[in-house]
Amino acid sequence: MSLVQKGRWITLVALVCLGAVYVRALAFTPVERLQGPAQKIFYLHVPAALWTEAAMVLVGLAGIFYLFLKDPRLDRFAEASAEVGTVFATIVLTTGPIWGKPIWGTWWTWDARLTSTLFLFFLYVGYLLVRGAVRDPGLRARYAAVLGICGMCLVPFIHLSVFLFRTLHPQPIILKPSAPSLPNSMLATWLLSLAAFTLLYVGFVTQRYALSLARAAQQGRSSEAGHV
Amino acid sequence: MSEVPQNAGYMMAAYIVTAVILLAYAVSLYRRTSKP
Repeated sequence: MSLVQKGRWITLVALVCLGAVYVRALAFTPVERLQGPAQKIFYLHVPAALWTEAAMVLVGLAGIFYLFLKDPRLDRFAEASAEVGTVFATIVLTTGPIWGKPIWGTWWTWDARLTSTLFLFFLYVGYLLVRGAVRDPGLRARYAAVLGICGMCLVPFIHLSVFLFRTLHPQPIILKPSAPSLPNSMLATWLLSLAAFTLLYVGFVTQRYALSLARAAQQGRSSEAGHV
Repeated sequence: MSEVPQNAGYMMAAYIVTAVILLAYAVSLYRRTSKP
């Protein structure tokens, strides 16, 4: 089985899992009394946000290792992770305001968490634009690695921004030093969603990596044909 | 005792938007990786 096919199968399993999350979240998970049904956006928003941050950390780590090892596989992985991270960041930045409107009374506020997440999204877009703009593969990989490392440095700030600044955004209720402050039925739905998003990340990145590999092989063949 | 807020429309909108974004990206990847 080729890498693309593996990626497709993982993505298919992930989408089926996500379908199960939808059914469980919408039909079998209790409604939170204070926020109402809008609280169920939590099951999509938070796993997408975690993978938006994790994807950028992986882009940064791949960038650091690339600068030392110059292994093109690291650059390809970083590119794939950045593209998938952009997709997840789009989900975060659309579901967040939809959740914020009924709960905060506003679609958007320029507080630290929201603004820094938007900045991360722009970094992702900038990263992809740089990759598209620079023709030389070595130079492109170096520029991208530096940008990825900058993005990685932003992630802890985003995560800690709710502690460092006074924000409308709530503090973590799962990823915190003490036990999660959620009933077990809600926690189980959230964990299932996190597993589905994790599989989605793996499936998408595998396919995107295979696409980069195919493009590199095609470029190699074209340049060989040009030399003949 | 306060009533539960009636805001299911926002929930449905978020779930639909997420599904559309993920499916659109999945289709985009499928099409790009299917090209010879």
